[in-house]
Amino acid sequence: MGSSPSRITPEDQAILDLKTQRDKLHQYQRRILILTDKETEIAKQLLAANDKPRALLALRRKKYQQSLLAQTDSQLEQLEKLTQSVEFALIQKDVVFGLQQGTKVLKEIHKEMGGIENVEKLMGETADAIAYQQEVSEMLGGKISNQDEDEVEAELEALEAEINGTATKHSGDVLPNVPDTRLPAIESRRQREDNKQGNKVIESREAILA
Amino acid sequence: MASKPPAPFQFPREYSFPPFFTPQTNLTTHHAQQTKWAALVLAYCRHYRIFRLSISPSPATASSQSAPPHDTSDLFHNKQLNRRLSPAHIRSVIDFLRKDGRAEYLDPKGSGDVAYVYWQTPEEWAGIIESWVEGTAQKGSVLTVYELVEGENTRGSEFWGMDRDVLIKALGVLVKRGKAQIFGQEDSLGVKFF
Repeated sequence: MGSSPSRITPEDQAILDLKTQRDKLHQYQRRILILTDKETEIAKQLLAANDKPRALLALRRKKYQQSLLAQTDSQLEQLEKLTQSVEFALIQKDVVFGLQQGTKVLKEIHKEMGGIENVEKLMGETADAIAYQQEVSEMLGGKISNQDEDEVEAELEALEAEINGTATKHSGDVLPNVPDTRLPAIESRRQREDNKQGNKVIESREAILA
Repeated sequence: MASKPPAPFQFPREYSFPPFFTPQTNLTTHHAQQTKWAALVLAYCRHYRIFRLSISPSPATASSQSAPPHDTSDLFHNKQLNRRLSPAHIRSVIDFLRKDGRAEYLDPKGSGDVAYVYWQTPEEWAGIIESWVEGTAQKGSVLTVYELVEGENTRGSEFWGMDRDVLIKALGVLVKRGKAQIFGQEDSLGVKFF
């Protein structure tokens, strides 16, 4: 069975003992419950047979058994409380152990960082380095950015032109499908559009040539 | 799970077919008959939550203390037809189940009169218990076997009121997987789940 070394701690054994004790009480209660039922049955039978004193005796026995039942109930409660305290204490132990480990690790990390003075010194150096870097960037940055800016704007304009061009083309595709009652108006619009497209074609041709 | 008035078991069609109770000589027919009987036994035991089946005509010993032993005499004996399965044939059905790992004799030599019927194999039970342990966050806690079978916490779970020995077999599967450890004395066994 136990290929690995036993993982059962003495605490587990103690909890098991408590729990088996509880189980035994449980079984005892069940036994007594059956007994009390039987006593009532007996009392009924004796009463039917007109044997009052013995019926009374049976009922007394039942009463006593019921008091036993109440006692075992309180004992059960005690046992359960104790079991739970043990289990909770185990958890507390784990928590304390965890806190201990955590503090230890934290302390070690702090030691590696070398104290507050070291951190302060480091922060000062970092600020110096950042300031230096900014200075360098400013010196280099001015000229290059002007040149870049022009190029970027030119590119943006080119893109805008492209997008607008395609947009008008699309609307040209859609428009003929829209029904309109005033025919002459449509005709005139179409004419205009035809003109536009014609112009565009010419433009693009020119562009290609260029 | 343990419904108070258990609905009577619905026997399959074959149960009212007289030749079903006679061993068939034709090999193919015989095999079909054995398969049907095996399925019937499993379904019957599952329905009444029977863990141990007795081969002799006496009522089976349903060992779980909470459920009253169910009279299994009608499983192998159709009173309406006045047909019964011979003990030898019952044994052959049990052997057929054993080949599938669905039954096992209490006496490992295979000569015993009572057999465990695994309508859930110990491995399946182990899975059920494991998922229960995980579902109720009981990992690392110590439980008694009595508590598992008859405790208030497990009432309503599938393994409540199951056969103690089968439960211990199932726990043994978990032990092999390193998910549990059984400890304590014979009459007060406990188990710790990991």
